[in-house]
Amino acid sequence: MIELDKVCKNYGLTKALIDVSFKIEKGQIVGFVGPNGAGKTTAMKIITTYTAPTSGTAKVGDYDVLENPLKVRELIGYLPETVPLYYDMLVSEYLEFIGEARHLNGAFQKRYDWVVQAAGLEPVLHRKIGVLSKGFKQRTCLAQALIHDPDVLILDEPTSGLDPLQIIGIRKLVKELAHEKTIILSTHILPEVATISDRILVINDGRIVADGSFDDLRKQVTKRSSVYIAVKSTKKDFESALKSVPDLEDVEYDENRKRGEVGAHLFFKSSADPISRMNDLMSEQNWNLLEFHPEKLSLEDSFIRLTQSTGSNEEQAKETTSAEGGAE
Amino acid sequence: MKDVAIIFRREFRAYFYSPIAYVFTVIFVVLNSGLYMFHFFFFGNADMRAFFSSLPLTLGLIFIPAISMRLWSEEHKLGTVELLLTLPMRTEHIVLGKFLASFLFYLVALAGTLAIPILLIILGKPDFGPIIGGYFGAILLGAFFLSVGIFISGFFSDQIVSLIITSLSCGFLALIGWQYVPMVIDGWISGLGEFLYQYVGVTRHFNDIERGVIDFKSIIYFLSFTALFLYLNAKSLERRKY
Repeated sequence: MIELDKVCKNYGLTKALIDVSFKIEKGQIVGFVGPNGAGKTTAMKIITTYTAPTSGTAKVGDYDVLENPLKVRELIGYLPETVPLYYDMLVSEYLEFIGEARHLNGAFQKRYDWVVQAAGLEPVLHRKIGVLSKGFKQRTCLAQALIHDPDVLILDEPTSGLDPLQIIGIRKLVKELAHEKTIILSTHILPEVATISDRILVINDGRIVADGSFDDLRKQVTKRSSVYIAVKSTKKDFESALKSVPDLEDVEYDENRKRGEVGAHLFFKSSADPISRMNDLMSEQNWNLLEFHPEKLSLEDSFIRLTQSTGSNEEQAKETTSAEGGAE
Repeated sequence: MKDVAIIFRREFRAYFYSPIAYVFTVIFVVLNSGLYMFHFFFFGNADMRAFFSSLPLTLGLIFIPAISMRLWSEEHKLGTVELLLTLPMRTEHIVLGKFLASFLFYLVALAGTLAIPILLIILGKPDFGPIIGGYFGAILLGAFFLSVGIFISGFFSDQIVSLIITSLSCGFLALIGWQYVPMVIDGWISGLGEFLYQYVGVTRHFNDIERGVIDFKSIIYFLSFTALFLYLNAKSLERRKY
């Protein structure tokens, strides 16, 4: 239903998207996840034809976003991050305007009634949009995205700034729509995509750094086994003791331990058995053990690791390139 | 054309959502009529020359920029430009709908000044040729300045910036149509002032029509420049994509 092939987007010298390719099948709910400025919104703007790709192709249905933008727009319902509303209009007038602009004609009344009910807009229908609460503004905007019963729904930060009850309401609505529509929603709130999406695309620095179901992603980031250990020792002794541990890839020190104690998250190669490795070390060192347990990464940790690892990879690549440039 | 009508209806209504439209119309009618009445009572002529001769400057410097400033600047500020340009409508149709709404609003304000010719008919025997020509010229002049204004508002999200730039641009177009300004420009670069006066200056073409001389060159001048700026507006909005 949606296909991006090697899409790049430059804003002047800034590269907002770099070689982004993905395919989204009909009926899938896909979450775009990434930190602010990662390129989620740019990707959405390209799909909705608001922005053109600098290179590469983007298609929605069978239509190319540059060759057939009007056909693409007919297929899409779009809730931009900016929540575009005319503040001087009544909610009903706004929806009527969108209905006309979407050429609903005879089907308008039925769709209007449905969308007002689905978005819970009955109490504010005859109020000016400018005086509505943020939640109702968001819902009004969601209603305009749904009024023409689009095949594809693009929701950019649909729950941003809403209270928990409103967030649950929007999630519920998206889930109800899920059976019939292809939905892309972007967020930096991970639990949101984890509960709604079939598939998650993690975008960072303009690139797709991970693609898969939530469980796939968790496996991808937790493919290294990790343990947490805290002992009574000095950091120096602890560090030198760790040097002899095979398969240890990375150490993150816990800065919150008391003086005379050392705590650290230890990351091992996936093939390693961290418990037995550490047992060997502890018996060798005769440490006074304070804490020791295997770790499972939380959702937030997974997200941070995915985005940080690509960031550091890129920095490394840049450093390598500049070092090579210097050598020349 | 259905899309043009949809945008036109929304835009025209939008003028009346705030009191600015009413205030604007009143000021437009009172100021223009007031300036004219001063002349009318002083000289006692039953014509509208004084009214029309000041129109290129009053329209270009104040009134047209005030009408056109919100057309795109407000959309940029509210973010609704993203909504509009992702609707299944051609950008040209959206531009035309907005332009026609602002044009009709201008015509409503201009119609408010019809009290002057009615007064002239009651008090004297005016020559209708120049009055009809003057209103015809004012319609073409308004369309031209509005197209410049809508084009400029496409670049700015701040309405005040749009207003100032439109005011300067329309003021320039009006001034280079006066004989004295091109003469000064000619003093700097020989021939440039005359070229601007003949082909770009608004006032010269407006004066021709306002005298009751229906010169097709002047009509084509107004219509082609209006079409050009509307086209440029649509193209500049499309270019923003890239």
